[in-house]
Amino acid sequence: MLHVFTLLLAMLLALPLVAEAQKPIKVGMPMPLSGPPALFGEPASKGAQMFVEELNAKGGVLGRKVELLIRDSKADANEAVRVARELILKENVDFLVGTLTSAEGPAVSVVAKENKIVFIAPIPKTDQLTAADKLHPYVFRVAATTTMEGRSAAEIVAKWPVTQVATISFDYAYGQDVTRAFVEHLKKIKPSVQIVDQQWPKLGEQDYNPFINAQMAKKPEAIFSSIWGGFFVTYSKQAKALGVFDVIKYNFIGVGEAATPETTKSMGADYPVGIWGNSYDAFYWGETPAHREYTARLSKYLKDEYPSSWAIQGYIGMQFLTEAIKKAGSADSDKVAKALLGLSVETPIGPLTIREKDHQANRGQLYGKTVKDPKYPFAIMKPVTYVDPSRFMD
Amino acid sequence: MSVRGLGGLVVFVAALLVPAFGSRFYTFLANDVIIWALFATSLNLLVGYTGLVSFGHAAYFGVGAYVTGILMKKLAVPFVLAWPAAGVFGAACALVFGFFCVRLTRIYFAMLTLAFAQIVWAICFKWNELTGGEQGMPEIPYPDFGWLERLGAGVPLLGGWRTAEYYYFLCTVLVAASLWALHRIVTSPFGRMLTTIRENAERAEFIGVNVRRYELAAFVLAGTFAGLAGGLFGIFNRGVFPDFAYWTKSSEVLIMTLLGGMGTFLGPSIGALVLILLNQQIVSYTEYWPLVLGTVLVVLLFGFPGGIAGAVGALSGRLFRRARSA
Amino acid sequence: MPDASFVFAQSLSGLTAAMFLFLIASGLSLIFGVLRVLNFAHGTFYMLGAYLAYQAMLWLGPGPGLFWLAALGAALGIALLGGVVERVLFRHLYEKEELYQLLFTYALGLILSDAAKIIWGTQQKSVSRPPELAGSFSLFGATIPQYNLFIIVLGPSIALAFWFVLQRTRAGRFIRAAALDRETLGALGVNVDALYTGVFMLASFLGGLGGALISPKRATTPGMDTEVIVEAFVVVVIGGLGSLWGTFLGAVVYGQVLSFGILLFPRFSIFAVFALMAAVLIIRPWGLLGRPIR
Repeated sequence: MLHVFTLLLAMLLALPLVAEAQKPIKVGMPMPLSGPPALFGEPASKGAQMFVEELNAKGGVLGRKVELLIRDSKADANEAVRVARELILKENVDFLVGTLTSAEGPAVSVVAKENKIVFIAPIPKTDQLTAADKLHPYVFRVAATTTMEGRSAAEIVAKWPVTQVATISFDYAYGQDVTRAFVEHLKKIKPSVQIVDQQWPKLGEQDYNPFINAQMAKKPEAIFSSIWGGFFVTYSKQAKALGVFDVIKYNFIGVGEAATPETTKSMGADYPVGIWGNSYDAFYWGETPAHREYTARLSKYLKDEYPSSWAIQGYIGMQFLTEAIKKAGSADSDKVAKALLGLSVETPIGPLTIREKDHQANRGQLYGKTVKDPKYPFAIMKPVTYVDPSRFMD
Repeated sequence: MSVRGLGGLVVFVAALLVPAFGSRFYTFLANDVIIWALFATSLNLLVGYTGLVSFGHAAYFGVGAYVTGILMKKLAVPFVLAWPAAGVFGAACALVFGFFCVRLTRIYFAMLTLAFAQIVWAICFKWNELTGGEQGMPEIPYPDFGWLERLGAGVPLLGGWRTAEYYYFLCTVLVAASLWALHRIVTSPFGRMLTTIRENAERAEFIGVNVRRYELAAFVLAGTFAGLAGGLFGIFNRGVFPDFAYWTKSSEVLIMTLLGGMGTFLGPSIGALVLILLNQQIVSYTEYWPLVLGTVLVVLLFGFPGGIAGAVGALSGRLFRRARSA
Repeated sequence: MPDASFVFAQSLSGLTAAMFLFLIASGLSLIFGVLRVLNFAHGTFYMLGAYLAYQAMLWLGPGPGLFWLAALGAALGIALLGGVVERVLFRHLYEKEELYQLLFTYALGLILSDAAKIIWGTQQKSVSRPPELAGSFSLFGATIPQYNLFIIVLGPSIALAFWFVLQRTRAGRFIRAAALDRETLGALGVNVDALYTGVFMLASFLGGLGGALISPKRATTPGMDTEVIVEAFVVVVIGGLGSLWGTFLGAVVYGQVLSFGILLFPRFSIFAVFALMAAVLIIRPWGLLGRPIR
C-alpha cells in the first residue's frame, strides 16, 4: 500500500516536468502583413513558417515542437510594440523573431529587454538597434546593417564615371542612417564626389513627383535611393514617367532591396531595367549546392516557380534561434542569449556568425545590375555578386 | 457617502485587485482601459456636457505623452514633476487652440480642432531632434518605485510586485483622482452652466452668460485631463509615437465616448472598457476588427443612440436617471 | 537658383495632384452642400474605385482603350454602391443629430475598407498606365508624363461640366435649391428623396472615378482611404464647404503648397498645409469662395 502510494506521489511530482517538456516552444513574430511593406514582410513570415514546419517534422528541438505566432505589425512602431507585448503577456511566447522596419526593431527591442525575452531581428537595418547605448543581452540581428549597406553601395557608385550624386531616402532611422553611411564612405574613397541634392520623403509617401522634380533640377549624374518594398514600386513608376532613369543613364542604385525578384516581378514591364540594386537572396544565384537545395524546397513550399527572396531572412532568424536553443540545451532566455554569442550557422546563403561585440551577424547581400534575361519574364541582376560585409563592419 | 460614491469606491478597489487575481495580460488590459477612460471622459466634458464636438482631442493626448516622455527620458525629470507637466502643456495648447476654436460653431469648430490636431501631429512627426520623428521615442523610463518597494518590505500587500504592476497601481490612483476631480467639475455650478450652454447657447447669452469664456474654460479643462491621460499612456505604452496625435486616435476616443454614452459621466469609461475588451475578444478570432466595430456602431446608431449607458439607463430606469442629473 | 523649367515642372506636378484631389473633394463638397453631412466614407469610396478599376483590368486585360472602360465601370459601380447605401441606410438618419450621421459615415468607412481587404487581400496592387497615355513629352525643358497632362485637363473639364449642370439645367437648379431649402422644394412637388439619392450617387461616382484614375499613378493599398479623406477635408475647408469653384481653388492651392513646400521648407511642408487650413478657418471660416452657412 505504502509503495503504491509513494509511486503515485512520485508520478505526480514528475507530471509537471513531463508536461513542460511536451509544451511547444512559442515564438512570436511581429511582421508587416498589410500594405506596401507586406511585399517583403509576408514572404519573410513564410520563410520562417517553412523552417518551423520542416523542423517540427523532424521532431522539433529538444524534443519540443516550435509554435510560430505571426501577427501583423502594420510596419508601425506603435503597433509592433503593442503586438509584441500581447505576444509576451497573453500568449506567453518564449522568444521573439520579427519586425521589418527600422522603427519597429528598436521599439520592440525595448520590450524584449524589459521582459528578458530573446529577440532576433531578421530585417531591420538601422545601426541604432545594436549601437552601444541600445545594446542589451537579449537583442540580436541577422540582417545587414545600414553601415554595411551604405558602404557597399558607396564602393559600387565610386566605380561609376560620375561626380554629382543625389540621394533620396525616407525620413526615418533607416533612410537617415543608410544615406549617412553611404555619403561618408563615398566621400572618403572618392573625394571628388559632390552630393548635389538630398530628398527626404516621409515613410509611406505615395506622390514622389515633387521630390523627383526638385532632385532633377539639381542635375545629378547618379542617384542613391533607399526607398523600399511596395514604395519603391510606386516611386520608380513615377520616376520612370518623369524620365529620370534616361537622364542619369541608369546610374541608379536602389538599396533597400530594389532588385529583389518580388519587386521586378510585380512591376513587370514597368521596372526600370538597367539600375543597380541589392537583394538578400535570389533564386537564380545558386552558387552552392546548399542554396540550390534550399531554393528547390522553397519553390515547392511557396508553390512558386520563382520563389521570393525574403523568405530567407525569416528562415535564417529561426535557424539561429533553434541552433542556439540546441546549443544551450534549454529554452531559458539567458542561456539561449549566451549561446547566440559567437554562434555560427550554416545558412542557405553561406555560413554566418553572430559576433559577440554587438550581436550582429556578418550578413552581406547580393548586389548587381539589372538586365532583361530571356529565361525569365522579369529583370534579374546579372552578374550578381555576394558582397562580404566583414570589411565594412567596424 | 452616497450610493454613487460607494459604488465608485468599490470599482476603485476592484481595479486595484486585478494584478492579484488576473494574469499579467489582464493587468496590461486594465491599465489600457483606465487611461482611455480618463481620456474619453475628458473629451466628454466637451462633447456631452458642453455640446462641442471635437475631432482633434488627440492633440492634447499627444502633447501630454511627448512632454512627459521627453522630460523623463531626455532630461531625467522625475515623474512627480513630469506628469503634471503633461497637464500643464495640454492646458496651454488647449488655451491657444481653444481660443480660436470657440469662435466657430459646429462643422467649422470640428474642422479647426482637426486642423490643430494635425498640426501637432505634423510637428511630432517631423521634428526629429525633439520628438524622434517618425520612429517616435521608445523606452520611456518607468517612474522610480524604489521607495515603494522599500516600503513594501515592511507593509504587507505592498511589496513584491513587478514594475509594470506598481505602475498600474499608480495609474489607478491617479486616474481615480482625476475622474473624481472631473466629477466635481461637472456637478459644480460651472458644470451645470456648461449643460445650459449645450441646451441653448443663445438663451444663455440672453441671461448674461459669457458663453465663449465658459466654452474656452471647458476646452482647457478637457485638454488638461487629456494631457494627463497622455502622460500616463506614454509610459504605459513603453514608447511615445506620433500617431498619438493623429486624427484616427481622435476618432477612437470619440467613438468610445459615444459608444458608452455621452449623456452620463461614466458612459465614456464604460465605452473604453467595452471597446478594449471587445477588441481583444474579436481579434483572437478574426483580423477584421474594423468590420465588426463598424457593424456594432451602425447597430448602435439605429438601435441605441444613447450608447450603452443610455440603453442600460432606459432599461433600469430610476437608478441611472438619478446619475444623469448628478 | 531654381530655373524656369523646374518651377514649371513642379507646378505641374502640384496641379496633377490637385486635380485628383479635386475629383474626390468635389464629391465631398457636393454631399456637404446639399445633404449637410461630412461623409467620412468618401475616402473609402475612392479606395474602392481604385480596387474596382484594378479588378476590371484583371478581367479585361491590357489593351488599347480598355483602361478607360475599366475606370468608367469602376466609377459607375461606386455610384451604384452610393445609391444603395443612401436609400437603404443613410436616408433614415437625416432627422437625427449631425453627430450620428457623421458616426454612421465613419462606421460605413470601416466596414467597406475591411470588405476591400477581404476581397482583394492586404498586399498592394498595381495598375499600369493606359498605353495611349504611357509616354511623356518635353515642354519648356521639363519632362511631362502624358497621363499627368490628361488629368490636368480633365479636372477643369469636369469642373466646367459640373458648373454647367448646376447653373443651366433643371436638375442643377433643383440641386442648388435643395442646398438652400429642402422643405420648400419638397412642398413644390419635387421628389427630394430621389434628388438626394441622385446627389449621393453623383458624388460617389466622382470619388470612385478619382480612385480609378489615380490607380496607374499610385499604389492601390489598404490605408489609402484614411490618408485621402483628411486631404479632402483640407481642400474643401480652404476652398469653402459646398462651393464648386472653392473646392477647385482649394485643390489647386493645396497642390502648390505641397509641391513648393518640399522645396522651400522640406521638413514642414505637411505642417504648412494644416497651418493653412487653420488659418483659413480662423480668418475666413467659410473658405476662400464659400458662403457663410448658419
